[in-house]
Amino acid sequence: MYNFSDLSKAVIAGQESKVKELTQAAINGGAEPLAIINEGLIAGMNVVGARFKSGEMFVPEVLVAARSMGAGVAMVKPLLLGQEVPSSGKVLIGTVKGDLHDIGKNLVALMLESGGFDVVNLGIDLAPDKFVAAVKEYQPQVIGLSALLTTTMLVMKDVIELLKEEGLRDRVKVIIGGAPISYDFSSEIGADGFAPDAATAVDLCRKLLA
Amino acid sequence: MPTKSNYVANSSTMFRVLSPSQCDEILLAAEEVLERTGVMVYDEEAREIMKKAGCWVDGARVRIASSIVERSLRSAPQRVTLCNSRTGSRDVQLEGYNAYFGTGSDTPFFIDPYTQERKRGTKQLVSWACKCIDALPNLDFVMSLGIVQDVPLLISDRHQFEAEVLNTGKPIVITAHDIKGYADIIEMCEIIAGGEEELRRNPFMTLYAEPISPLQHAEEAATKLVLAAKKGLPVVYTPCVMAGGTVPASMAGVITNGLAESLSGLVINQTAREGAPFIMGGVFTIMDMTTTIFSYGSPEFDLLMAALADMAHYLKLPMFGTAGCSDSCIMDEQAGVEAALSITMTALSGPNLNHDVGYVEYGSTSSLDLLVTCNDIIGMARRLVRGIQVNDDTLALDVIDKVGPGGNFLKEDHTGKYFRAETLNSELNDRQSYDLWKESGSKTMEKRANEKTRSIIEDYQPEQLPKDVQQKIHAIVERAENKLRS
Repeated sequence: MYNFSDLSKAVIAGQESKVKELTQAAINGGAEPLAIINEGLIAGMNVVGARFKSGEMFVPEVLVAARSMGAGVAMVKPLLLGQEVPSSGKVLIGTVKGDLHDIGKNLVALMLESGGFDVVNLGIDLAPDKFVAAVKEYQPQVIGLSALLTTTMLVMKDVIELLKEEGLRDRVKVIIGGAPISYDFSSEIGADGFAPDAATAVDLCRKLLA
Repeated sequence: MPTKSNYVANSSTMFRVLSPSQCDEILLAAEEVLERTGVMVYDEEAREIMKKAGCWVDGARVRIASSIVERSLRSAPQRVTLCNSRTGSRDVQLEGYNAYFGTGSDTPFFIDPYTQERKRGTKQLVSWACKCIDALPNLDFVMSLGIVQDVPLLISDRHQFEAEVLNTGKPIVITAHDIKGYADIIEMCEIIAGGEEELRRNPFMTLYAEPISPLQHAEEAATKLVLAAKKGLPVVYTPCVMAGGTVPASMAGVITNGLAESLSGLVINQTAREGAPFIMGGVFTIMDMTTTIFSYGSPEFDLLMAALADMAHYLKLPMFGTAGCSDSCIMDEQAGVEAALSITMTALSGPNLNHDVGYVEYGSTSSLDLLVTCNDIIGMARRLVRGIQVNDDTLALDVIDKVGPGGNFLKEDHTGKYFRAETLNSELNDRQSYDLWKESGSKTMEKRANEKTRSIIEDYQPEQLPKDVQQKIHAIVERAENKLRS
């Protein structure tokens, strides 16, 4: 049984070069590739998630830890030989048409990645047909729509309507977020959920896919 | 009488964060950002104008030589005056260290002063807010304090302006969804002012636009800067930057990056038309790394605002500041503390057009009760800034000698002469003894503020615009609505 505690600690501390070094050592030491990911890298990230929730760690520390975890996963991936990298689910995310604001949306994407989700970040200023085409292409379980403006948040409804028209609505959960969004608006346009911030968005995706 | 050489008097309280050398260093760094990194300009006309002025255009990326930034700094006027739309009086002189206060715009939500519920903004809310501002003596200008959402949303900006201008004569910082919204609102302004030329000479309004941090000028923002220049109307351009999020986490890095955004906006505006009135803004703050909100109440927000004010004075540009706002979700102790600190720092550091008074929930919600409270806080801050006058009469040696040890000053002429001018009487602060406070209803400040809000809404009548002007304005609102329908 390989001891992964140092590797987990390096992930928690966000020490990317140390994570790489210890991942390589684990590979050389004959550790099971999937165990390196689950018991070393993801185990460290789970501690980070818990510490963030309790207020001991802050967003940049979470993101740096996730980056160092990612560096380790990238090294192990070629050795998985057909086995899948463990994933919490696939989420497609983008800012709706007319809106170029994207820090909040990018933050949600980063936090989802930190939470073990595969994230396809489509970018900004996206018309409903772009979302629909991406749903067809990437087959996500969740799509996240972002808007900062009251004028552009109306486009969220158009996206949901087009998903219905294309017969895709049942295949994907739709979540929405952004400054003018509320729980009321979310149910009014028939979304599956609303998250008031990035950390809640991760919990929401977990809940929807449970 | 002897003469006094080498006598230095502070005729106001003195305060600054950055020294002139530090301001210079930050300016040079921002110029380097614009030469080396450049900005995105998502509007073709603006890029063409910049290219003609000598900027290096590469796709949407525009890099700007320092010489062009410096030329724009020289051509922009040092002062902008805003008038009262009813009296024409040139009340708001944006220059030097003059600090004026007003509300913020476009919050999606507001706290209903009658039910204390958080609701979506309505036309009535904006009308109430503007009535309050018109009534409150320490509030000098207006932004909507809410997004009107009980009308068709795509043209709600016209309704918003109508609600504003019907309820106050104080200058208005106008927000609009897009260039068409602005065209309609400017048309309304020209009707009120009595013509295009009149509005330019005696503007009672300024346009408003903001870049998207980091270093991006969206199409709407760039076209607004160009439109303002062509029209010769003032424009506020205000980057909203988050330390550690859209800009570096170091305070000097925040100012450098934010200033580069402002200065590139200035270049778009000044290359479109030299000498156009430009008001440099900046809401510079931290991203709170637990909640990821854009903080309106952190000490860093106050510090950055004061530092940017030093920059604006150094650059000799009128400045749009921020104060009287809070991260708290409601009007409570936290809101009072944060609003008081920011108003005090702002009054001391002297940015000119200071908005967002009345914001709670980091700019997502507005509170009229906080606005009314801030009226008193601004009064207190203004008292602090007035400082202490030192002269023979205020040193009061004769009356000190007359009263002598063990006497009192209550019935002295000198006291009668000075106590009103020297002492601020706050309306909302309670200084009663416990028993009297209890007898008068045991009211908290929130309760007292709420009562005042309601009495303004119910009893105050702002001066009306002439009936025919009101009709013409409403006709433009209806025209926009009909266009939307067809």
